[in-house]
Amino acid sequence: MILLLWAPKLYALTPVYNLDEETNIYQPVADIRVTTEEGGIYLSEIYSGRPIILTLVYTRCAGVCNPLLMRLKENIELIDPKREFTILVLSFDPLDTLEDMQGMAKRFTLDEDPRWEFAVSREIDKLNRSIGFNPVRAGAKRQFDHEALLIGINRNGLITKKLIGLRNEAALGAMIVEINDVFVPSYPLPDNKRSFSCFNYDPATGKNSPGWGLLVLSLPATLTLLLVLVIGINSNHEHH
Amino acid sequence: MMERTTLARTTSIWIIAILLLFILSVVLGIIMRLSQGGVISQSPVVFYSQMTTHGFTMIGIWFVAGMVGVNYLMQRYVSAPVKSNIFALLFTIIGVVLLWVTTFVGKFHTGWTFLYPLPFKIAWAGWATPLFFVSLTILGVGWLVWSVSLLMAIFKKYSITRALAWQHFGKNPSFETPPFILITVITLIGVITCLLAAVLLIVLFFAEYFSSGTFVNDPLLMKNLTYFFGHTIANEMLYLGLATLYELFPEVSGRPKWKTTWYVALAWNCTLVFILTAFFHHMYMDFVQPESFQIVGQVASYLASLPAAVVTVFSVLTLIYRNSIRWSLTNVLYFMGVAGWVIGGLGAVIDATITNNLVLHNTLWVPAHFHTYNAMGNVLFSLAFFNWAANRFAGIGESGGANRLKIALLLVGGTGFLLMFYLGGAYSIPRRFNIYPMEFSLAASFARIAAVFAAVYLAAVLIFFWDILRKCLKLLTYSR
Amino acid sequence: MSDKHEFILVLFLLLAALVAIVFVYVYLSSGAKSSQKEDGKGLNNTQRFWFFLLLTAALFIFASFTIPKSPYYLFEKESPSRVVFVAAQQYYWALSSEAIGPGNPGAGEAIELKRGELVEFRVTSLDVNHGFGIYDESNNLIAQTQAMPGYVNRLRWKFEKPGTYKVLCLEFCGLAHAVMRASFTVR
Ligand code: HEM
Ligand SMILES: [Cu+2]
Repeated sequence: MILLLWAPKLYALTPVYNLDEETNIYQPVADIRVTTEEGGIYLSEIYSGRPIILTLVYTRCAGVCNPLLMRLKENIELIDPKREFTILVLSFDPLDTLEDMQGMAKRFTLDEDPRWEFAVSREIDKLNRSIGFNPVRAGAKRQFDHEALLIGINRNGLITKKLIGLRNEAALGAMIVEINDVFVPSYPLPDNKRSFSCFNYDPATGKNSPGWGLLVLSLPATLTLLLVLVIGINSNHEHH
Repeated sequence: MMERTTLARTTSIWIIAILLLFILSVVLGIIMRLSQGGVISQSPVVFYSQMTTHGFTMIGIWFVAGMVGVNYLMQRYVSAPVKSNIFALLFTIIGVVLLWVTTFVGKFHTGWTFLYPLPFKIAWAGWATPLFFVSLTILGVGWLVWSVSLLMAIFKKYSITRALAWQHFGKNPSFETPPFILITVITLIGVITCLLAAVLLIVLFFAEYFSSGTFVNDPLLMKNLTYFFGHTIANEMLYLGLATLYELFPEVSGRPKWKTTWYVALAWNCTLVFILTAFFHHMYMDFVQPESFQIVGQVASYLASLPAAVVTVFSVLTLIYRNSIRWSLTNVLYFMGVAGWVIGGLGAVIDATITNNLVLHNTLWVPAHFHTYNAMGNVLFSLAFFNWAANRFAGIGESGGANRLKIALLLVGGTGFLLMFYLGGAYSIPRRFNIYPMEFSLAASFARIAAVFAAVYLAAVLIFFWDILRKCLKLLTYSR
Repeated sequence: MSDKHEFILVLFLLLAALVAIVFVYVYLSSGAKSSQKEDGKGLNNTQRFWFFLLLTAALFIFASFTIPKSPYYLFEKESPSRVVFVAAQQYYWALSSEAIGPGNPGAGEAIELKRGELVEFRVTSLDVNHGFGIYDESNNLIAQTQAMPGYVNRLRWKFEKPGTYKVLCLEFCGLAHAVMRASFTVR
């Protein structure tokens, strides 16, 4: 009875985070064939070697694609080079050619970087279905309405993490850990903007680093230590 | 000879007040068990208000009981503070009264841990939340001033390093720190630390309360601070009791005083360091806490408790074993208290092991072990001191009287009451359930049996109270 | 009572009994006036040193043996085949195969898991702290994690026995804490 009484409250809940990030988790990505500079290759041939950070863009994008790549490039540079991954930048626009994508790589000066691959594919719809990506054609200028999406794929071809929107290096770091099959037993919700968080996720080490909260947490002991020193030193002892 | 100092009189007022509050809280405990057993029917709000009151009052009184004992015995070594003692007495009384008003009139019922953000999900009178924090502030200020003044009194005579007995780590120390001073200093430092954690916690609560939504706390930090305060004070208050044991036990038994040796110094210095991180074991099931903290929690839980326990048990047992001992109520209580403390500690160490915690956390195993080292450990330490002090106040020696009866009632009542908690824990019955779901078919029976045994325990407490009250009143009325 | 709980209880009772026996024995010995010891000296300093060393070593061996079995490392090398999203709210559990939010309150969804498959529970709270405790058909607590607002805790588990499992709240969350529950089935 009490349960029924409280159930309606649930529908009043405010959005906590982008739920789409939690779709398709641990589901296999469609093993499509993509074309890169080196020729045709199946996704499985890529991820069985190194896990993939897959990002979907198109070269004529006047919206989020360029900032997404820019951000990704910057963040990757902050990340522990020991962790393995391939960043696969794949066009979801059938009009893009491999040359278009190579041009894009050049523009971002990523054409020489061995970790980055730029590619096109004829099976893009199959891929989109398997990862829950739904770009919508918008207007006459061959533009798409789409979200900034990163898909993390582990060595077994499973989606282990999704990031939607322009995200910081901490989120990216979490993804890289996750595609390398390192189990992190917890993560903060992306909208968690609370004061004095105890830990910040540090992509450089793949570990949590102290946040302001830890300082607060160590304050009682520090203050006590100071207090003890002050009282102890200022007291004149009667010596024996 | 009767003692008529202000310290003695203040101490006797403390003792009476603590025992009165103890009786009331035990009655609340029995009512809770009856309610869980289905013997009486209470609304959840009433039940949880009682639970909050019971938990907080118990922690409060046994903490101050330890402080009272330490403050009183301290006069043997240094000039013991009196003013801050009276100050703390007043603040404690005001704080407790306000607390009882918030829980019984305001129906505030977050449990004694008031885990963020529960105090803000108001299911009680709106004024109860701020008043609750006000009462905490009053208690905190009173106790902080008191503990700092005790520490200052010691530091007037002993330097920091001597108070911590560090000279005992070298060869042939030229100066011996009395064990009582060592343990008291170690404990007071811990007490001040956890009281400061409480201050921070209260500040953060108030900040959010008055910010009207612009300042939001991090639940992980708040949980850490909560147990930093809650766990640590629950632990330190036991060590206050132990300090009095180190002072009185050999003396009352008619044996030579204990000496501080390198391993005694080491064990207690371990406690000082490790106790500050042992509270992490309350967050094993919070997977958001980094793993390194969890591991530190497990290791620190062992290192904070075991060395001190081993050294104490060692000292107590070797003092008695095949020696002629002058047994009296005081040292019997201390002796039983050590056994209770150790048994409760074993239950705690089992639970402080992460893999076990997965299936024990927040089951009745938790109240089982902490009631063991409180109701059958720390309470007995303090009762021992009360009994010893009351005899002094009344100017009489250790008396026989109803001792056997008291001890038997305590033992039987306590053991039966606790066993029901342990069984409940082993049957996975959750703690803090006002009524038990049908699936736990034995839970209500356990609760009813526990209520009966707890009543037996209460009977012993009443006899103690009567006996001690008479003696304390003798002192208080005499001086008038 | 599960085997693990039984083991814990028996271990504890044995240890408690041992302590009680030692204390009673020592108490009874105190009458005998055959004391030949010097006061307070049982072992000499070297013996004490070794005793301490042994104790510390035993502790560390025990810790290094138990810590790897902690829930944070459970099935960490495997990929789960199922995710169950859990959102706790005063006084209600929402369990769903899809992420829980305004579009999917997760209410009333029947969760069915397969025997032996690796399940990952992603547990959070929408208000206060709650405790996500999983009970098997014989009402044994088999695993748990806390539900904390702002964070998602991930608990991985394989259910070997088919049946109906219950979820109870294991962190005090307010007046209806004891009736906050849910269930799921394993086939
Ligand atoms: C015979 C005497 C006692 C009885 C009958 C008793 C009974 C109880 C009961 C029934 C509960 C609630 C258990 C649950 O979670 O379901 C409880 C909780 C508690 N008790 Fe006692 N208790 C006694 C003595 C003590 C003592 C001596 C202490 C000293 C510290 C103490 C401290 C607490 C605390 C801190 C809680 C937790 C409250 C909370 O969950 O917020 N109790 N007690
Ligand atoms: Cu709950």
